[in-house]
Amino acid sequence: MFAKLKKKIAEEAATAPRSGVRIPRTISKESIASVGADSGDDFASDGSSSRDDLSAQLHRRNDQIRKLEAKLSASIKKLQEQNESHQSSRAKMAEGMALALEKKDQEWMEKMADVEKEKAALSARLEEMMEQSLALFQKRDELEGFQQQELAKVKHMLLRKDELLSQQERELQQKEAEIQSAKRGLSEAREKFQAMQQQHEESCRLNSELEIEREELLLLREEADKNISELEGRCQELQAVIQQVSEDFQMSQNMVSSLEKSLCDLQAENESLKLQQQKAAVMEEEKARLLVELQKKVSSLERRLQGNLSQDEHLQELLQEKSNLELNLEETRKELLIVRTNHTDTVSTLEAQVSRMSGSITELQTLLRHEDDSSKAYRERTDTQIASLERQVLENTERMKCAEQQVTEKQQHIDKLHGEQNTEKAFLEQQICLLEQQREERTSCLEETISCLQTDKHSLLDRVAELDKQMLEANSILKQQAEELENCKAELNSRLTVSTEIAKSLEETRRQKEELQTQVGELTVGLQKSQQELSTAAKKLRLRDEDVQTLQNELQSRQDSLAHLQEETKRLHTQLQQMELDKDSQLRSLREELLSQTEQLDSCQARISYLEVEVETLTEQLQSPEVCEEDQNGCVTVDDLDHLQRVNREQEQQLSDKNRTIKQLQQRLAELKRTLQKELKLKPEPEAEGKEKFLESRAEKQERFSSDPPPAAAPSPPTSNTTVTNTSDLNDSREINFEYLKHVVLKFMSSREAEAYQLIRAVSVLLNFTREEEDMLKQTLEYKMSWFGSKPSPKGIIRPSISGSSTHWS
Amino acid sequence: MGGFFSSLFSGLFGTREMRILILGLDGAGKTTILYRLQVGEVVTTIPTIGFNVETVTYKNLKFQVWDLGGQTSIRPYWRCYYSNTDAVIYVVDSSDRDRMGISKSELVAMLEEEELKKAILVVFANKQDMDQAMTPTEVANALGLPALKDRKWQIFKTSATKGTGLDEAMEWLVDALKSRQ
Repeated sequence: MFAKLKKKIAEEAATAPRSGVRIPRTISKESIASVGADSGDDFASDGSSSRDDLSAQLHRRNDQIRKLEAKLSASIKKLQEQNESHQSSRAKMAEGMALALEKKDQEWMEKMADVEKEKAALSARLEEMMEQSLALFQKRDELEGFQQQELAKVKHMLLRKDELLSQQERELQQKEAEIQSAKRGLSEAREKFQAMQQQHEESCRLNSELEIEREELLLLREEADKNISELEGRCQELQAVIQQVSEDFQMSQNMVSSLEKSLCDLQAENESLKLQQQKAAVMEEEKARLLVELQKKVSSLERRLQGNLSQDEHLQELLQEKSNLELNLEETRKELLIVRTNHTDTVSTLEAQVSRMSGSITELQTLLRHEDDSSKAYRERTDTQIASLERQVLENTERMKCAEQQVTEKQQHIDKLHGEQNTEKAFLEQQICLLEQQREERTSCLEETISCLQTDKHSLLDRVAELDKQMLEANSILKQQAEELENCKAELNSRLTVSTEIAKSLEETRRQKEELQTQVGELTVGLQKSQQELSTAAKKLRLRDEDVQTLQNELQSRQDSLAHLQEETKRLHTQLQQMELDKDSQLRSLREELLSQTEQLDSCQARISYLEVEVETLTEQLQSPEVCEEDQNGCVTVDDLDHLQRVNREQEQQLSDKNRTIKQLQQRLAELKRTLQKELKLKPEPEAEGKEKFLESRAEKQERFSSDPPPAAAPSPPTSNTTVTNTSDLNDSREINFEYLKHVVLKFMSSREAEAYQLIRAVSVLLNFTREEEDMLKQTLEYKMSWFGSKPSPKGIIRPSISGSSTHWS
Repeated sequence: MGGFFSSLFSGLFGTREMRILILGLDGAGKTTILYRLQVGEVVTTIPTIGFNVETVTYKNLKFQVWDLGGQTSIRPYWRCYYSNTDAVIYVVDSSDRDRMGISKSELVAMLEEEELKKAILVVFANKQDMDQAMTPTEVANALGLPALKDRKWQIFKTSATKGTGLDEAMEWLVDALKSRQ
């Protein structure tokens, strides 16, 4: 527009008559320029000339200057002329100009009107533009609002994402902490478990020890029991022995007593026998005496029978006879008594009787001697004697009341005899004649009596013999008895010794028994102790068992908790995986959102740029009118526009910053993921068996393992992160292998031949040598090592190796 | 030809060097054992990527002892060193109960190699100074040693840092190698 106007003005100026004024100026200008140019040319040529003719030049210059001065003066003159003409022409021109001005004024007025019109139109257009700009402003505001909203949204979203991220991170940390705590718990539990196992083992050992002890104790108890039973058996045996011994002792005592009794008996018998012997001896004497007397009597009687004796003699004889008879009677009585007593076996009485009889015999003998003096006295004496005899008899009868009837009969007989005696006495006193008869009778009866006496004597002798025999027997018996006694005594002694021995042994046994009993007591005490010990041990054992039980329970619970923990860890793993998945999805969604937002942003930016372009064009459009009229509004809009642009730029920068931070965050997230995966890879499953298996399988697949992705990483989606880790793993293994290769090659080159020889294999494996290459290396080394031999020829091995290895390298 | 002469000469001049491999998982203490045997000192070691080879003289017997790195990535290269091996010292970390299974599988795989059919096996139940160390019998059972057939083997409890058990093990190894010759 401006250019157009200028052009127009220029055209108008060209067309105007005043255009001639300019031409001379231009011409003069040109002339001057040409002069200048000429001089310049001259100078340039001079410059090229030599210095020798400097003075000449100077001269020439001076000439020239002079010429120029002349020219200048001429031109001044001309100029003055021209000036004059010009002034004249100027006056003319002024007139013309005034006219032209007037004309031009009119024209300009017209033009002004036109311009006014145009201005109006332009103002209208400006207004329109203003409106448009307002609309644009509004739009811009709107856009700004939009943008702000969007930015706020983005900010908000970013904040939220940040929050989420931080939350996730926190959660992750928490989870990690949880995992670690779980692991710690696991290790603790494992430790505890081991401790428990140790305890368990210890308790088992203790248990076994206790059992062994118990068994030992049981054995001891059994032994003790055996001992006790043995001891009891021995005790019983000993008791039996004791009983036997006591029985024996009793028996022996009994025997002793019986023997003593028998001894007493025997002694008594002996005594009695002795007494009997004495009695028998006495009786023998008496019998002998009686025999003598009877013989005397017989002789006297024979004498009497032969010669008639005188009355006195006869009387005397009779008296004698009577006394004899009485004596006989007495004797017979005594004998009878003796016999009776003998028969009734009371040696003492017999003895007493014998003594008494002997006493009475002596008395009778004395009496008989006294009878010679006086018959009366004799009678009296006899009476007294008879009385005494009677008394004696009575006494005897009294004594023998309990005797048999014979005794009484005899007594009666004696009584009768007494009576007979009495009658005889009377008869003797009164009639003597009867005496003959009586005497005859008497003789007959005496003979009878003699015969009977003889028989008696015989019987007595027999008796004596018998008695002797008996005595002998008794003696023999006695001897026997004595022997027996002695034997018995010996036996008794032996028995006594035996019994003492037995008693000793008894005592010993008793002592033994006591000892045994004490032993038994000790043993029982020991047994009780052992039993107590056993019971305590059993109690302990039970306690141990309980402990073990509780421990096992605890173990169980621990294992349960372990299992629980494992489950939890599993669950956590799954949660983690889930979370990862979630996160991934979230990330993806976020990324998508981000992308959409960036798209939006891009679109916004595009719109903004578009708007900016528009605004620029508008401002350009606006600036053209601004030249002619300084509009306040346009200025403001430009400022606003600048401001807007600045703000826009700032926002763009912010956006790029945000983008950068988002990228950083993404990177961090990826890193976190990687570390998580690494950790998961390092400690994959807490279960021991699975781990073991896994590890074993890993060990088996070592060679593949480095290139294979770890199983833990498998569930994660194939995002860019995993691929990164994979490549990094590969890089790692390659690095290690490279390092290994480096090391091996270095060693191969630096070590002795002997060692290097061993390294050929490793080098060839690491560098994928072919067999030929390996052999070649070996041969070379062998050659180096040996003192002799020739260097092996290459035989073109190197060439095929290259072709061969090329396949490997591809 | 040269090999023949060299073998002939090595036969003539003194005894041949015994070739012994020290194998085991990473961190079992192979390098420490090697230098303990060689210089009798505990050296600070870094994980062996590659191998160490030293000549150890024990009871007038020269050993060329190879300590091969035990990391998982370089374990497959063990087999490159198996040929002409007289004895294998297999080192086990007694306190590492978790990796006993791996150790076992490695050992089994190693023993199945044809080149090691005649090698004597000495197992070092190492790190016995640790608290939770397994006993030699436990280690032997964990490695399945009792089931080995046609193999002269022995297990020793060792502590490379404390230097215990190494002398007994080497003595046994020397005796075994001498008796085999």
